[in-house]
Amino acid sequence: MGEDYIGPTVERFFHFDPLIALTTFIASRAFFASLALAGVTILVTIVLGRVVCGWACPLGAVHQFASFVFKKTKFLRPNRDEKASVAWKYYVLAFVLASAVFTLDLVGILDPLSFLYRSFAIGVFPGLTHVASGLVGALYGLKLDAAAQPVSQWFQTLALNSTFRQGLLAFALFALAVGLNAKKERFWCRYVCPLGALLGLFSRWNVFKVRVNMDKCIKCNLCTMHCQTQAVPYPNEKWRSAECVYCGTCAAICPTAAITFPATAKPEKLDTVDLSRRKLILTTGLGAFMAPIFRISPARKRADLKLIRPPGAIAEEDFVRRCVKCGECMKACPTNALQPALFEAGPQGLWTPMLVPRIGYCEYYCSLCSQVCPTGAIRELKIEEKTTIKIGSAWINKNRCIPYALGKPCIVCEEHCPTSPKAIKFVMVEAKLFDGTTATQKAPVIDNALCIGCGICETKCPVVDEPAIYVTSVGEVRSKTNQLLLPLLGQEPPQQ
Amino acid sequence: MDRREFLKGAAAAGLYMKMGSVFVGAEPAGPDLAAITGESPAAITKAAVDALGGMKKFVGRGDKVVIKPNIGWDRTPEMAACTNPEVVRALVEMCLGAGAKQVVVMDNTTNQAQRCYARSGIAEAAKQGGAKVLFTDENRLKKVTLKGAWLKEWDVFQDFIEADKVINVPIAKVHSLCRLTLSMKNWLGALGGARNQLHQKLDEAIVDLQAFFKPTLTILDAYRILVRNGPQGGRPSDTELVKTVVAGADAVAVDTLGASFFGVRPEELLYLRLAQERGLGTSQLEKLRVEKRTI
Repeated sequence: MGEDYIGPTVERFFHFDPLIALTTFIASRAFFASLALAGVTILVTIVLGRVVCGWACPLGAVHQFASFVFKKTKFLRPNRDEKASVAWKYYVLAFVLASAVFTLDLVGILDPLSFLYRSFAIGVFPGLTHVASGLVGALYGLKLDAAAQPVSQWFQTLALNSTFRQGLLAFALFALAVGLNAKKERFWCRYVCPLGALLGLFSRWNVFKVRVNMDKCIKCNLCTMHCQTQAVPYPNEKWRSAECVYCGTCAAICPTAAITFPATAKPEKLDTVDLSRRKLILTTGLGAFMAPIFRISPARKRADLKLIRPPGAIAEEDFVRRCVKCGECMKACPTNALQPALFEAGPQGLWTPMLVPRIGYCEYYCSLCSQVCPTGAIRELKIEEKTTIKIGSAWINKNRCIPYALGKPCIVCEEHCPTSPKAIKFVMVEAKLFDGTTATQKAPVIDNALCIGCGICETKCPVVDEPAIYVTSVGEVRSKTNQLLLPLLGQEPPQQ
Repeated sequence: MDRREFLKGAAAAGLYMKMGSVFVGAEPAGPDLAAITGESPAAITKAAVDALGGMKKFVGRGDKVVIKPNIGWDRTPEMAACTNPEVVRALVEMCLGAGAKQVVVMDNTTNQAQRCYARSGIAEAAKQGGAKVLFTDENRLKKVTLKGAWLKEWDVFQDFIEADKVINVPIAKVHSLCRLTLSMKNWLGALGGARNQLHQKLDEAIVDLQAFFKPTLTILDAYRILVRNGPQGGRPSDTELVKTVVAGADAVAVDTLGASFFGVRPEELLYLRLAQERGLGTSQLEKLRVEKRTI
């Protein structure tokens, strides 16, 4: 706790995700070695079918549980004969892959792992944190200090971030996704999930197949009605191996135990999902066309001053191709500084991480975000390198800075500047006050060459409504164009 | 023994008890200020407190003690931004040895608390010494009337108010506003709220805080001091090994001696002048019994 180390376990789940691996590879034209683990998932799926969806996927588990609750509470009543098309997720997949061919990486929006992690990181956990704070506060309010203190202390060791822009939106989208299970069982898994679709494409040669023993079958249709993913176990010849997640519900619910999952090598004539060629062409074309549409945004021409990326972030054009908006960095950041972008990075940058110094700053000796990024959009850094990476430049607004504007002492920014030598120095200034007198005070001046843009000055500045010292993105070393100073002869140009 | 002899003996014993120290030539009271230099931070801390008469002079049996080190920064001990962890552990052990019921170690940090507590080494060292290491808890903030000359009221963490005894353990560093941050500036870590506003009248504020908290003992960690880029440094070259710990009940005296490590005279520090004027202590070390030793 408090150590600058998060093991690879956190990001490992993402490395097994073949949708992320494939899309990121196509979009960025670069292969991130750890994502090779996704090959394991593909192999497992080829042999065993979509068991990953049925047994491993955490979002699948959420939806399965929600469906279970909705069924038990009678919100969800499955149709006897479900006609809704499960083809939609394949169109989503086509859209994502087609746009990736043209370097647009949209996988993060609907990839189940990204969706789940992001929703929890910026929506669910922060909400729960506030519930817990409320409870602790109530205990203290009731003067039950002896009970409240150990709970409060333990909670602080979790170091959960509880302040996020778009947190409400993230929670609402998650609630919507879960709520849709009241309409159809495992709505997301059946109709939305592009990863499910991708794995479905690989599950045509499953070793284990569903078999209905017609001697025992009483044609009650309970199996098909309660099949979680609409794989239609009965009639047996209509069973869709690409949809079956091997949850075993059909076998469990069959009143005559007529369903088994034998392993047979011989390929059976199986029904596959009916994909409309027209719809497929349409969504593929639309996906391909999204890339040039997204390039209309001015974000591609001029960096936004507020778009301060985490240290270790690769150049912007490559960054948005690799970032899957999973939210891991935002959760790991010890000061809650990393926040999901809205418009600052253009439409392709939605929910990618940016530093917001008014909420938190980049802790000097911290490299946690670079340790958890699953796709290498933030490349992993050692501390010695991290402390030299400039992510932006600080500026002083002399109209608001207390010594300049009010003639009173304050050096909070200099006090907190972590570099040595400090990037904030002093000059003596004379402030003309409203009563005609002059006050002489130490006032801060920024040494741009030393400033790394960490933002602690802005976070701690006592002018709380609009800090008198603030950081903007210009000068970030990862960008060739977002610079202001002429490189001096002999000095290296900005590196990537 | 007959009654006359008994009465003579009793009278003599009573007289002796009252004035025996004069006859026997008893030792005079211990020094007011101790500055011990040596290789081991723990050893010089113990020696400094022992020179003052031992921890039992300051901490009583059953006392609830709060030790206030500087844990403010996410820096390793070599950077001299936070109090030396060995000094803190030694103090914890001494307090428990003197019969304290509970020793709490806490500070309201500047950088993220979990990282500061870990990287400074203080949480681990204090736990090993037997202390209860706590994070500051916003629920335990109380608006307190400080009766200061300038600072009237502020949010203070109840733990410091509820303790029987508070021990202040700062580290000696340079600071751009009050020139040096020694013992009194350390009280900012006992406060909540918008501490960053206090810089507008920092010297007056820390004197008011010192008057309010009335620590039973002040230990200035000058084992490794910060001479550049204070108050958090960043390079080992910003630090200087002085290998000394200064201990005393008079924080003004402690700071006066501490300032000498930086070549600064007490008159040059506004806050020390104000503290002396307020009667919180004296900078005139020649009037005190000072023990300086190397072990």
